[in-house]
Amino acid sequence: MLEYLKDYPAGDYFDEAVAENNTPRTAAKPLLKQFENTPFNSLQEMQSSAEVAIANMGISFTVYSDKGNIDRLWPFDVFPRTLCSQEWKQISDGLKQRLKALNRFIEDVYNERQIFQAGIMPEEIITSSKDFRPECCGMKLKHNSWASICGSDLVRDVTGKIYVLEDNLRVPSGVSYMLENRAVMKQVMPEVFNDMNILPVDQYPMQLLSMLRSLCPYKTDNPEVVVLTPGIFNSAYYEHAYLAHEMGAELVEGSDLVVLEDNCVYMRNIEGLKRVDVIYRRIDDAFLDPEVFREDSSLGVPGLMRAWKAGKVAIANAPGCGVADDKVVYAYVPDMIRFYLNEEPLIENVPTYLCSREEERNYVLEHLDKLVVKPANESGGYGLLIGPKASMEEIETFRQLIRENPRNYIAQPTLNISTVPTVCDQSLEPRHVDLRPFILLGEKTYVTAGGLTRVALKKGSLVVNSSQGGGSKDTWIVVTEEEN
Amino acid sequence: MLSKVAERVYWLARYIERVENTARLAKVHSQLMLDLPKSVKLSWYGLVQITSNEDYFALHYDSRSEQNCMKMLLSDRNNPASLISSLWWARENIRTTRDILPREAWIHINELYVMVKNHQEDFATRTKRNELLSKIIRACQAYTGMLEGTMSHNETYRFLKLGMLIERADMTTRLIDEGGLFVAQEHFEKDDESYFDAILWANLLRSINAYFMYRQQYQTEISGQEVLQFLTQDEEFARSISYCLNEMCWFMRKLPNPEPMQNALKSLQQKISAEQKLIIGSNELHNHLDWIQKELSQINRLLYSTWFNPKQVA
Repeated sequence: MLEYLKDYPAGDYFDEAVAENNTPRTAAKPLLKQFENTPFNSLQEMQSSAEVAIANMGISFTVYSDKGNIDRLWPFDVFPRTLCSQEWKQISDGLKQRLKALNRFIEDVYNERQIFQAGIMPEEIITSSKDFRPECCGMKLKHNSWASICGSDLVRDVTGKIYVLEDNLRVPSGVSYMLENRAVMKQVMPEVFNDMNILPVDQYPMQLLSMLRSLCPYKTDNPEVVVLTPGIFNSAYYEHAYLAHEMGAELVEGSDLVVLEDNCVYMRNIEGLKRVDVIYRRIDDAFLDPEVFREDSSLGVPGLMRAWKAGKVAIANAPGCGVADDKVVYAYVPDMIRFYLNEEPLIENVPTYLCSREEERNYVLEHLDKLVVKPANESGGYGLLIGPKASMEEIETFRQLIRENPRNYIAQPTLNISTVPTVCDQSLEPRHVDLRPFILLGEKTYVTAGGLTRVALKKGSLVVNSSQGGGSKDTWIVVTEEEN
Repeated sequence: MLSKVAERVYWLARYIERVENTARLAKVHSQLMLDLPKSVKLSWYGLVQITSNEDYFALHYDSRSEQNCMKMLLSDRNNPASLISSLWWARENIRTTRDILPREAWIHINELYVMVKNHQEDFATRTKRNELLSKIIRACQAYTGMLEGTMSHNETYRFLKLGMLIERADMTTRLIDEGGLFVAQEHFEKDDESYFDAILWANLLRSINAYFMYRQQYQTEISGQEVLQFLTQDEEFARSISYCLNEMCWFMRKLPNPEPMQNALKSLQQKISAEQKLIIGSNELHNHLDWIQKELSQINRLLYSTWFNPKQVA
């Protein structure tokens, strides 16, 4: 065992690298063996050179603040998070299963609505959702692909069990950081990659491109794919530019596109207007088409919905797919898997109490100090109540909120999510992590090998968001010797 | 190439050229003030006129003082045509097209912008102003040379060239107009006239670094008529209008559907070359220059319908 891991406090939580008796876990074994002759200060040196590499590559993210938007360098920790390829196989099968069911569900919502008729789910959950788009009713999409790109957040509890915490189906971001993290690691510790069998991640842009091309609603030899960005002031602009560049697709803004009377979408090129077949959009539904949604939006393209409904262009993710990105709908995903696929879910949900159900609501109201309460419809960790850390006042506020609008709240037990050794001032210390793999669904289904591991860099913190002191780690899916 | 990207690159070049030309204009005007005797009236307001900023000036300034005219032309951030505004827009256009330009382009222009912004008050006093203007001109030249020497001469480069050339041709008409206006307003004794005119035209030529090239072409005394010919019809001088139009024709030959544009440019160039007898200081000359400026904005519109805002399916 590593000298500087001797006093590592494994066992308080589930640690991804070190088991209770301070022995390495299977997936971390080859890594820790590699590090045997690496003194701690060499690890710190690697940490510094990673930070230099990030500065040189210009990897940044934007923090919105009162004093203007600041581009900050991407916080990164060099100690990677490792997972066994066998375990990953099961996880990725579970993720594919989940996304398949979610897409069947979205198409059902906008068409037959069988799941409601079968009494599996109350229909009002959908009709009351602010992301339900009546404009989408009657649409059937190629490969059933509504949510074509999904970023699901996974967590591991103290027993080592993996749960899905949420599915991001609208415009999930972060995949460019997954790719950049790997590029940084290859620079910082190339030898390790030589000697270990780590699954590569860099096919993602090509997989994304081929998935997008498979969505083209008509036959054409070479579908023109574009990435639609809100523009340079968006916090994820870096990622939009990165993905467009890697795919060799044009990065366009709404004003570059035009819908003509033939209902086709064109981009303005110096050669003239050029037909666009598939749009990977990185702007929200509400801004897509001022003719249909927000009139005041200058980000979108007038007539885009018309073109989409006429089958003249594919949009990924499809308009209206946010209806399944709702924490109440989330609670029903296991039922959807059983209903649409006739299979048992391969990955479980975090146990979830729906405040719309009287019995569960009563339980929640009685145990507010022990639960995490979330609004059904927000993203980015806004408007949460973390029971064990909340004041009496905050708890009472939420009690009131839940009573007023039970449909809008769910509750989950507070999870002690797993940890990974992280380079700190004196030694490696455990820090909490989650994991966001990216799943693509077009003609084929694809899951990234690993994903974006986010880490709460502050001691004891469970918040992994980069805007709130979170950072990230490279994620290694390791093929271990036992498997070979 | 996306139309928007081509448009941004084109305007980037126009703005940089405008920064350089505005600096030249301000500098030569200050110079002229020193060279001409006190009895000869030369107003600072001429600068406002030749840059077509009369309306803006009337709205925002009271007296036509040196201070006011210089401020409006150089450091007034609210005036979209001021030097600092042009520089700001150039910087904005580079920022949003960084991925297709050499890295140094951004560094150059950003540095220049920061330098001008930090020394804005130098525009107020004559000595410091001239020093700063010289620095700006040199920085613009270094930037243009850097692009010329490090960039692939590709589509991006062609749109940069088009922007630079059209702006340059436009500025040359304005300069000649300045000379004409001056001659028209003077009431010299017959003997003095040619003497002061020579000073005027020499300074105008210097303002666009044309003095020595002119001298090599015409060995006689400087005459307004020949300067006019040199700056509008010369086929070899880099800032003559004819030359700029020819170059535009040449640089667009590899762009998609250039023919209508090229025809428009050729016909304009031919009309300019055919013009024989315009008298310096006459109304006809002023109208002729006005007409060229209008034709150039017609060319600008044509650039839009052809490349920047196409309506036809390719």
